[in-house]
Amino acid sequence: MRYSNKPELQERLAAEYALGTLRGAARARFRRWMRGDAALARAVAEWEARLAPMAEAVEPVRPPRRVWDEIQARLGPAAAPPPRRLSLWRALALLATGAAAALVLMTVVVPPPPMAHGEYVAVLSDPKTQRPVLLISAARKEKTLRVKSLDPSIQPRDASLEIWALPKDGKPRSLGLVPEAAQGAVQLAALADQTLSDVPALAVSVEPRGGSPTGAPTGPVLYTGPCVKDW
Amino acid sequence: MTAEDDAGRLAAELTTLLAACARRDREAFARLYQSTSAKLFGVALRILRREDWAEEVLQECYVRIWTHAPEYRPALAAPMTWMSSIVRNRCLDWLRRPRVEVADDDGSIAEGTEADDPGPLAHLERAKESAALSRCLQTLEGKQRQAIALAFFDGLSHSELARHLREPLGTVKTWVRRGLLRLKDCLALQQ
Repeated sequence: MRYSNKPELQERLAAEYALGTLRGAARARFRRWMRGDAALARAVAEWEARLAPMAEAVEPVRPPRRVWDEIQARLGPAAAPPPRRLSLWRALALLATGAAAALVLMTVVVPPPPMAHGEYVAVLSDPKTQRPVLLISAARKEKTLRVKSLDPSIQPRDASLEIWALPKDGKPRSLGLVPEAAQGAVQLAALADQTLSDVPALAVSVEPRGGSPTGAPTGPVLYTGPCVKDW
Repeated sequence: MTAEDDAGRLAAELTTLLAACARRDREAFARLYQSTSAKLFGVALRILRREDWAEEVLQECYVRIWTHAPEYRPALAAPMTWMSSIVRNRCLDWLRRPRVEVADDDGSIAEGTEADDPGPLAHLERAKESAALSRCLQTLEGKQRQAIALAFFDGLSHSELARHLREPLGTVKTWVRRGLLRLKDCLALQQ
């Protein structure tokens, strides 16, 4: 249908589009036509301007704080306000852009751990908000991955979070599932030294309950962070 | 200080903030959100009638406002008109999803919009810039005014209007069409 030849129809549809009574497929179709027809777009803009004072008359309702937080998260890291209190792990997550940087920080900021053998440490953060969400560590000579959740809200309701080692060469290797408790342990198949020595980074993806059915990440990777050797 | 001056100052400020957003100024965006989010949340909440949906739509719309700020042209639309159109459009698209209907379990949509109940229209008279629209809405027949208000404020479609007003679809469509025509003529005379 050619709107340009039917000014009356054009005017009526523009008015109903602005009012909101033009709905469903007709609305979507009209919007496409409008994009390619400056006169039609102008007619709609005029109607929106006529009716706009009605929107001003609606009682304002302050949205909850989480709306703004979510908008900032969606816009990406530039929106993150400067942290009020720079906790150790947060500082780590912000600064540890590379393993080297983290290593320096570990030796400078963290007092040397009492255990002689040292451990692997990874802080995983959300790249959108730069907030650290998981702290993962493993003693070199043990077969246990200690997982501490820094943000209990990350645990999905009907899915599992799976931890992956991202080796320098080769495909991601599953290390197990993020425990549902805030603090938990994951049993490794081999000593941490064998599992993590060639792994500069860890990642966490969303998987079906019980973990990836294929042995490789199938869902989106939500969190990543460098895995550093602390000894 | 008249209401008109106030409105003009606010529009100028929002236009400045949108221009700053176009230059990717996140602080200006935060101020834009502070000045406008309660109004736009009110608009979304009224149409969607569910807080979780309204929150989701508001989030999407502000991301959209941020993304499209460089395309905003002050000559074509007042800043609040531009932003509320984005929100209203997204709400109406949202209602288009399958099985979504405007909930009115408690009957409050119908209750709040008796033909002689001005509802939000009463607020129109407060703001000077909307006085013309308010005057023109007063010249409409009660049923026409009611149908237009329900469509605009509550996002009711023609068929939902027919159901709420208990009138045949064709009748309701005619009210809306004639009401809009009359509104346009009246507003043209006011200028």
